[in-house]
Amino acid sequence: MDILTILFYLVTSVVIFSSMSLVIVNNTVHAALLLVLIFFNSAILWLMLNAEFLAIVLVLVYVGAVLVLFLFVIMLLDIPVKKTTDKKLYLLFSVITSLIMFAELYMIIFYHDFSNGTNLNSISEVNNTYEIGLMLFTQHIFSFEVTAFILLVAIIAAIAINLTIRERSLRQDPGKQILETKESRLKIIKGEDL
Amino acid sequence: MITMSHYLVFSALLFCISIAGIFINRKNILLLLMSIELMLLSVNTNFIVFSHFSDDITGQVFVFFILAVAAAESAIGLAIIVSLFRIRNSLEINLINKLKG
Repeated sequence: MDILTILFYLVTSVVIFSSMSLVIVNNTVHAALLLVLIFFNSAILWLMLNAEFLAIVLVLVYVGAVLVLFLFVIMLLDIPVKKTTDKKLYLLFSVITSLIMFAELYMIIFYHDFSNGTNLNSISEVNNTYEIGLMLFTQHIFSFEVTAFILLVAIIAAIAINLTIRERSLRQDPGKQILETKESRLKIIKGEDL
Repeated sequence: MITMSHYLVFSALLFCISIAGIFINRKNILLLLMSIELMLLSVNTNFIVFSHFSDDITGQVFVFFILAVAAAESAIGLAIIVSLFRIRNSLEINLINKLKG
């Protein structure tokens, strides 16, 4: 057994066991921290597959931004930890369903026999990031622009969902204050009209 | 020697575990979103494995797009969860029945 085989089995067993404990844990903070562990180990796995750029993107974007967002939301909302009562039945059904699905996938993988598909080990003269950038800015440039637009839409949507304007708040609106005139505020009436 | 089917079996196992997670966590919508992230991770691993063993960089470009879209999706999902918690004061999925669908 060479060192890469040992590393593969170590990393995959950490990912599998921590994802199993993620789906049965009750505490959401523990679940988010387990997800960080899973993403780090997957980044190691992607490094073994010569995908250096995506491995570092996974750590920087996912662990650095998305999971921190998860932790912010968990700490922002004071979620009561409830003991669920009907978890046993759901556990049984979910284990049966996922075992059936895994058996099907396993049969597909070994029916097609991917085991002899070793990589061609062609050492390219440019690095992985350069190759991805070359594809991204020539063939897939339209998809790249659409991705940028999707991120913009996500920002606007996330703000618009949570933006609440209270009707009866005492907050001053400078625009309305400027538009007020003397006539809209002041009314002169004669004394004998009273 | 690690072959292609080792990686494929690993990613299939991860996908099935996250499906079980969606079944189990009916009381907490945040854990459900985390299971979806796990599913996306296993699909991305599959893409990278095929890209590595067939020596084609297009799979990795696709993973880049999936990562960007998944980040946008989780941002909007978390915003919906925050505003839902503000209205209902709970994250249980079987209580979300306002639309009576």
